[in-house]
Parts: sequence; C-alpha cells; structure tokens
Amino acid sequence: MSPTQCVQFEKMLEEQPDGPLSAVASAHIESCDDCRTLWSEIEAIRTAGTEWGGEEVEPPEYLWASLRQRLESEGLIRERNAQRGWLAAWFGVAPGWALAGAWVSLVLIAAMLAGYRINQPNRAAVLPVRLSMAAAQPKLVGADLGKTLDGDLKRVFDSLPEGNPVLASSLRENLGIVDNLIAVCEQSVREQPDDPVARDYLYGAYEQKAVLLATATDRSALEGQ
Amino acid sequence: MARTRSSVVRELGEAEAIRRAQQGDAEAFERIYRLHNRRVYALCLRMVGNTAEAEDLTQEAFLQLFRKIATFRGESAFSTWLHRLAVNVVLMRLRKKSLVETSLDEAAEPDEESGGPRKDIGGPDLRLSGSVDRVNLERAVEQLPPGYRSVFVLHDVQGYEHNEIAVIMNCSIGNSKSQLHKARMRLRELLHEFERDRAREERQAAKGGSGSGH
Repeated sequence: MSPTQCVQFEKMLEEQPDGPLSAVASAHIESCDDCRTLWSEIEAIRTAGTEWGGEEVEPPEYLWASLRQRLESEGLIRERNAQRGWLAAWFGVAPGWALAGAWVSLVLIAAMLAGYRINQPNRAAVLPVRLSMAAAQPKLVGADLGKTLDGDLKRVFDSLPEGNPVLASSLRENLGIVDNLIAVCEQSVREQPDDPVARDYLYGAYEQKAVLLATATDRSALEGQ
Repeated sequence: MARTRSSVVRELGEAEAIRRAQQGDAEAFERIYRLHNRRVYALCLRMVGNTAEAEDLTQEAFLQLFRKIATFRGESAFSTWLHRLAVNVVLMRLRKKSLVETSLDEAAEPDEESGGPRKDIGGPDLRLSGSVDRVNLERAVEQLPPGYRSVFVLHDVQGYEHNEIAVIMNCSIGNSKSQLHKARMRLRELLHEFERDRAREERQAAKGGSGSGH
C-alpha cells in the first residue's frame, strides 16, 4: 500500500477525529491492514473513554463542608437566616409548638401583670424602670443585666410562700421560655454587636424577664398577706 | 409543613441559585455546588488521576467560581464558564508541578523512514483487540502530556464538543481536533507498551515456573 495514502489517512483522522470515514478512507482501510488496525484501535480507545465518562464520580461529602468553611472564612457567603435577621432566624429554627407555648405564656404573663397592675401599679413598675435605665447606659452589657435579673429572680423564688408549688412551677416554666429567648437575642447581639435592632430585641427580652420577675414579686407579696 | 433546608437546596433552579449566590446566599452556593460537583470532580480526577489532588482541585475550582460569581453576567453558559475555570485550575496545577511537558507536536510524528504513521509499536500479536482495559486506559491517560490529556478527557471522556473545548481551552476548533487525534495516538502507543510489559512479565513468570519444576 502506498505510504502516501497512509499519510493521507492519518491526516484525515486528525482533521475529522470523530468520523465518519469518507468513502476514500473506507476504501483505503479495506486494502491496508495497518491503517485498518489503527482505525479499530482508535475506535476502541474512544469507546473506552466514553464508557469511562459514563461512570458517575461522587466527591466525598466532607468536600462541601471544607469548601463552605473556606467560603465563610473569606466572607463570601452569609447564612440566609442571618440576612433575614435574628427574629426570622428564631422563628425559623424554633419548633412550632415551642413558639405557640411561648406566645401563650407571654400573653398569660401580660394578662396576669395587667391584673396585678390594676391592684398594685407602683410595685409592678419598679423593674421595668431599672431596665430602662440599663438600656440608656450602653456600657452596661447584657451579661451584667442578666446577672442582676437572675439575682432578683432568685430572691423572688426564695420569698415564695412554701406550699404553692403550682405557682413556682409556672414561674419556672415561663422563666425557661424567656431565658431561651434571651439566649437567642444575646447570640444575635454577639454576632451583630453594632446592630441597634438586635440590641433593642435583647433589652426587650430582658424586659420580658423583668415583667415575669415583677409578676412573681407581686404574687409573692399577695400570697404572703 | 415547613420545608427543610435540604429541600430548599434541592428545589432551587440554577438561574435563581446563581442570582442568589451573587448576593452571598449560602443555600444558593450549596445548590450550585451540588449541581456541578460530580462533573467537576470527575474532570479533576481524570485529569490528575489522584483522589486527594482531585478533591483539592475541585475545592479550588469552586472557590474561584464563588469568588468570581458576582461578575457572571450570563453571556456564556454557566457550566461552560465553570468548567473552563476548572480546567484552567487543573492545568495551572499541572504546570506548577513541573510535569515533563511534551511538546504537543512531539508525539505521533510521522515515521521518518516510511513517511507513514507509526503502526508497528506492539507488533501484530500485541495489537489492541477491540476493547481497552480500563485500568490501563487510566494509567495511560495519567501519562499523557497535560494538553493532550485535557482534550482527551474533555472530549472522549466528559463528552464535550470541539467548539466547547475551543472555548474552554482558548484554542481553535481545528487545534482541539488535532490534539485529540494526537492524544489518541499517544494513548495507543502507551497501551501497546503496557501490553508488551505484561507479555514480558508473563514470559518471565512462565520461565520461572518451568525452571522451578526441575
């Protein structure tokens, strides 16, 4: 077979590597063993490559975790919850029943407070005043305020008359709900210390705790009479 | 019933995910990653032949993608953009590793004596028999020069068309076809070499076996 034809055959393969073979090339490989072998082996390699490509390759799961960590460290991604604000985040993660319970409890507390305020308005107003003063002092950090409130609450619980476990249990339950809210708010403030809305919500949460404390104080006084 | 985070990630369409990722949305980043990670990882793995390095390259490709995603304006297909970026990341790594870079024209030159193509590498008894062993193919691909390897992996393995490869590798369509042909020719040589090595080992094993019998 003429070497010229073989060179032309390979040139054709280079220019049209995906085929199909022209009539001239087909005629050539009919009469040239070497080029026929070359063609069949090239086809075998191409087929093997295609089969190889059909296999899915799943990267390990930790790859995303690692990538995400790098994206976060570079500040490229933000949590969607954080973008929507801490309140949305809270509502997004809290189970429905917990939210419902929290709201019912807060409504009950407000109703109780309203009732006690009608009877003894001056005593109930003491703690919110303390909160307002704290909010006006930016240097008073949340943790200090929380400790102060915790101390006040402890004194209230200590002063509750023995033999009223229902009241104590109810207060503790409501306290747990409000404390959860405070924890979320505190985290939001830690993450966004310059966000005035986050700080407002934190002080609002402390205020809820103070309201609870005022309610308990009043109830304690009434029980003691 | 509230939608879970994973279902949100799954349901997000690519265009919406891109738009949200441009605003730094974490779920959108994850959606884009999940849509393309297999193809990018496969590409990296087949181009470097090493899982640890493929993981590193996949991460690097997505990292670069997310760094630049705000500049994506949709003039080109997103997947083409991503894969061009991934190929570049791989090629950069291969160059940094100072692999022996064979000139793209070095392999598969016409036989100087006959002027025809080299066909007698393995001899008649070692010709490929219509099917190629996968392990050998992977070994051979690993030994290809980076340029050949990229075109072969992109075209024959990953299924890209020459016009896409031309865009990804910033070359002409004719150059892509030419490189693919040379890559296949080089693979053929390598596969013949493997076959010869295997035949030699078998002969030696047979000699050793018959020698030990006496």
